[in-house]
Amino acid sequence: MKFLLPLALICSFPVWSKYDTEFSGNVETQGRFTWNNEMAKSDLLQDWKKGDFYLIYGNLSGKLNFDQSRVEANWFLRGSASELYTPQESPLGDRPPYFVTQIFTYPNKLVARDLFNLQYENRDGVFKAESVLNKFLYEYDIGNHRITVGRMYINYGQGEIFNPINPFNQPTGLTAISQVAQGNDGIAVDYFFNDKFSLDLFVLGDKRIHGYDGEVSRTLWAHGEIQASDDLQLDFVFGEDQNRHKAGGQYSYRLGESILFAQILYQSEYLDATPSNSLFDGLLAYDRQLTSKWHVRFEGGYQQKNKFATLSNLGERFLPTEYFLALANQYEIHPLVKLNGTAINDVKSGFTYLIAKIALDLGRDMELDLFGFVPVSKGDEADNVAQKLVTTDIGFALRKFF
Amino acid sequence: MFKNFFRKDIVLCVALGANVNNADEWLKYADKEMRGDQSHAELVMTIQTPNWTRELEIESDSEGKSLALSTIKSPAKEKGIRTLRIDNNMWNYLPKLKRKISISSSMLLASWMGSDFTNDDILKSSSMSQDYHHKFKPDEKIGAETFRVIDNTAKSDSKVMWPSIVSYSSKKDCLPRLYRYYDKQGVLRRTLTLDDVKTFDGHKVPTKWEMKPEADKSKKTTLTYKDIKFKTTFGPNHFSQKNLTD
Repeated sequence: MKFLLPLALICSFPVWSKYDTEFSGNVETQGRFTWNNEMAKSDLLQDWKKGDFYLIYGNLSGKLNFDQSRVEANWFLRGSASELYTPQESPLGDRPPYFVTQIFTYPNKLVARDLFNLQYENRDGVFKAESVLNKFLYEYDIGNHRITVGRMYINYGQGEIFNPINPFNQPTGLTAISQVAQGNDGIAVDYFFNDKFSLDLFVLGDKRIHGYDGEVSRTLWAHGEIQASDDLQLDFVFGEDQNRHKAGGQYSYRLGESILFAQILYQSEYLDATPSNSLFDGLLAYDRQLTSKWHVRFEGGYQQKNKFATLSNLGERFLPTEYFLALANQYEIHPLVKLNGTAINDVKSGFTYLIAKIALDLGRDMELDLFGFVPVSKGDEADNVAQKLVTTDIGFALRKFF
Repeated sequence: MFKNFFRKDIVLCVALGANVNNADEWLKYADKEMRGDQSHAELVMTIQTPNWTRELEIESDSEGKSLALSTIKSPAKEKGIRTLRIDNNMWNYLPKLKRKISISSSMLLASWMGSDFTNDDILKSSSMSQDYHHKFKPDEKIGAETFRVIDNTAKSDSKVMWPSIVSYSSKKDCLPRLYRYYDKQGVLRRTLTLDDVKTFDGHKVPTKWEMKPEADKSKKTTLTYKDIKFKTTFGPNHFSQKNLTD
């Protein structure tokens, strides 16, 4: 029945169309050929050598405008196919799909704070299908302020590879995905006091971590943005989220023709009796448009290890590194052709990963990306288990906007 | 001086209200004529190279010299992207991902939506009268028309991308027809041509703006104004971050 909700919304189009409505969307197909990491084979029971992975996903967005309010919805559909969904038989019985399928369907959690299970997922052999309403909200304006109720995107912070001050929308800078945002269930109140200061307050709920029949994990969150001067912007965040107290901020300063920004986030131990340690994240970044065609960005960060990590809360830590340095370049060799190259290095383990992309504008609202992901240095085996799962991939993404 | 004053072509500009002997006033008059106190414009941006052409339909609102909000109406790939300028601050908003991006000075050189116009053109275009010293140069004849030439040199304390811009204005209506942009070495880097003057709500405006980079003469971006409404008013929060993100 939940799968039918987006369909019902579309079928009600004749009613919507009498109002000020906007529709848009995209569809994208990806194919990739992948080689497994030798360490994943030997150490993590990921006993496959190479394989194909095919992905098709799309968004259909609608917006219905009234005088002082609006309704917005986004339906996200994703289908994927790969033999990696069906691991080799084991004498111990059925085995779950290989881990790499979760990486290729990143972000596999399309609603970060999930109070309502408005999604459908089905896996049958080598196929997997997902349907989720990852945005469905009502916004109401009160003067220069705004109240939002429902499932919403929360997107702030300048980090593209690591953005610790925003736990509600994971960055996609290290992936081949570009048109995905995570939803969050709850209520938001946005105060725009003036153009120098805004404050966003969120009350969100999350059921998934306890199961949909279990208790709701609450999020009470504040994000403020202060334009301190023409060159200086400050962000602050604090609140309770995922059973921890969290507080942090971002300092962003224009330095000549560059921008320098830093983020920190402190997370307390779990608020209940569950064993845990406090966590600290930090990011230092530099961004510069070197010429009209060449853009460069450096991000260096620290993500403290969760000593009590288990398979159920592994997703709390975003990057598979503790210390990292990343350098991202984008160069326009033609108005229709852009080259992207990113290198990320785990300073502690020595793990190094390269990402190369060629983005072609095909016209008629179509784009083609050719990409390659290569771990060039495996690093210290003991340092981070997740690094053993990183594969070598080449592939393409063809997307169409409508 | 009196001989100049009574020249037929310059008399037209005097009648229109421009002080013919003051470059600052000349530019202010042209700015006021083309910008008005507030305006709502519908325009098409066409990016052309020998092999391909791309069009963006844009709606653009402005009030005074420091407030501007533009929205891309098509194509689908960019539809809904908004750009807000308040004083010296500028933001892009990507509604599909609900992402607001502050345009820092590091990005002023970057192309706006893949065109030959830069973020700096969008951010700083209204501050010519504030950020530059202005001085008349000898008139120049280009084709059949003789133009009033103004040398605009960046003030030492201004943060601008172009240290020198030379503007060529028609003596018929005092409006600019050509801008030439020079870098620190005095090398011509690009040329903006304005043409096809039309009248909207009593304001004369060149409706065809063509930007050509010198480095690649086969490429150009044209802005074509389809309609401009000067007799318009905006709500109190129209040029705000809230409206940007609605």
